[in-house]
Amino acid sequence: MIRFDNVGLRYGSGPEILRDVTFHVLPGSFHFLTGPSGAGKTTLLRLLFMSLRPTRGLVFVLGENVAELSPAGRAELRRRIGIVFQDFRLLDHLTTWENVALPLRVMGKREQDYREDVTDLLRWVGLGDRINAYPEILSGGEKQRAAIARAVIGRPELLLADEPTGNVDPVIGNRLLRLFVELNRLGTSVIIATHDHALMDQLDAPRLILFNGHLQMR
Amino acid sequence: MTLLSDIRDYPWTSLIGGLLPKRVVTWLPARFQTRSSQIVPSASIAGNALTVVIAIMSFLACLTAGAVYMVNRSAQAWVNDITSEITVELDPINTADIEKKMTLVSLFLAKQKGITEVKPLTADESAKLLEPWLGETTALSALPIPRLIAVTIDRSNPPDIALIKDALTQNFEGVTLDDHRRWQAEIKALTRSAALGGLAVLGLVAAATIAVIVSATRSAMATNREIIEVLHFVGANERFISREFERHFLGLGVRAGLVGALAAALAFLLFPVLTHMLGGGIVTAAETERLIGSGELDLAGYFLCVLVVFVVACLCMVTSRLGVIRVLKSYE
Repeated sequence: MIRFDNVGLRYGSGPEILRDVTFHVLPGSFHFLTGPSGAGKTTLLRLLFMSLRPTRGLVFVLGENVAELSPAGRAELRRRIGIVFQDFRLLDHLTTWENVALPLRVMGKREQDYREDVTDLLRWVGLGDRINAYPEILSGGEKQRAAIARAVIGRPELLLADEPTGNVDPVIGNRLLRLFVELNRLGTSVIIATHDHALMDQLDAPRLILFNGHLQMR
Repeated sequence: MTLLSDIRDYPWTSLIGGLLPKRVVTWLPARFQTRSSQIVPSASIAGNALTVVIAIMSFLACLTAGAVYMVNRSAQAWVNDITSEITVELDPINTADIEKKMTLVSLFLAKQKGITEVKPLTADESAKLLEPWLGETTALSALPIPRLIAVTIDRSNPPDIALIKDALTQNFEGVTLDDHRRWQAEIKALTRSAALGGLAVLGLVAAATIAVIVSATRSAMATNREIIEVLHFVGANERFISREFERHFLGLGVRAGLVGALAAALAFLLFPVLTHMLGGGIVTAAETERLIGSGELDLAGYFLCVLVVFVVACLCMVTSRLGVIRVLKSYE
């Protein structure tokens, strides 16, 4: 599903943020990506999401060599990946329902074909009563759940989450983790970038640990 | 082929739907309906500022284009008038019976091919022509003022001026023919200068309009960067994102451009009234009319204003597309 071969990355002429990163992730797996702040977790996620190019090495995502893809090909591949940002990235002028439906709209699907699916998913993540609410009136936890719903509405093969519990209290954090586990059971591979050890301790999942630009798997 | 298929597949109907008021769109077939909520918000502070800027620049561009068009049209009318006429001048000195000579020359001219009208000017009419320079004075009657015959020629079948000139010189003493060639050359030079000056001003206004619209659209695009980011991250390709922004900025350009063009059209309609209200009397009105015509645009003039709106809307659309491409390049 994902393969990194001796991947290195530096910004401009600065020092290497990632050095000789090599790992692979199997379909249907669940991984935590961890390490101290500034270790390069977000950078690694951005490489996985193809919004950055490695300075050296090979990156395969969903079986595709990212370096050989055209911009349109990368956009096509991104539709098979869901991403959850730490700062949610919901569009303030769209309702919760419209935000969650956005990936389907981008795919060119007709609204009548996905209307029920989006509503059902929002109910499943506990936002059934917030369908017509705008993001600015949602709480941090609600925004995060909406962002997760948007990431999974297109039934992605891979879900990437960057500090998904960073802005929520432990109770909500645990609920979100259960949500990720449930998605994983449904067949989606999940990689969660976090430095929240309490969260990771709740689940027996392999950890990709970044330190000084190097990656270890435990 | 890619360009052709891009044009063929473009959602023109929903684009048109996006430009029309919602009430009107509800009456149109389903393909003209835009989706319930726009991905690019229709109203924002940057968007409102851009609308005002585009409306003002469109107004100035339409005003300049219209004024240049009117001056050119009037200048062309002067040249046409002057090329339709020749003047025959009779020397009053050494002529015993000038009235008889006027009649003879007029009859001679009327017989020539290509001449449609011969109008001998009376002594008073000839003297009146000097009033702008000498004023209204009785002294004029004492002066030996040359007598004039205004001759209108058929422009589609013009006479041989050189032949008439020779015939007049041979048959009548003290008679000369002025074909206005010198005047024509001077007026042509003047109108050419006026046209070039107008085009230069139009060029400057167009350049300023383009610069302002591009800059304002870029600013508005910068405020929408987050939307581009989110669309990019949910898997939208360049084509989809560009279309969303093009639809938004084309609509904005058309609406703002129309406001500017309508304001300019109103200004042209009210121009004669304004001249009058600002203290211009009959003389000012006559002089203005001679210079730039009635001050009102004809159909071609209004078409120019529509053209300005079209160009402005296209500028907004193209700039937004380039803005999207620039933002997306930073992610690739």
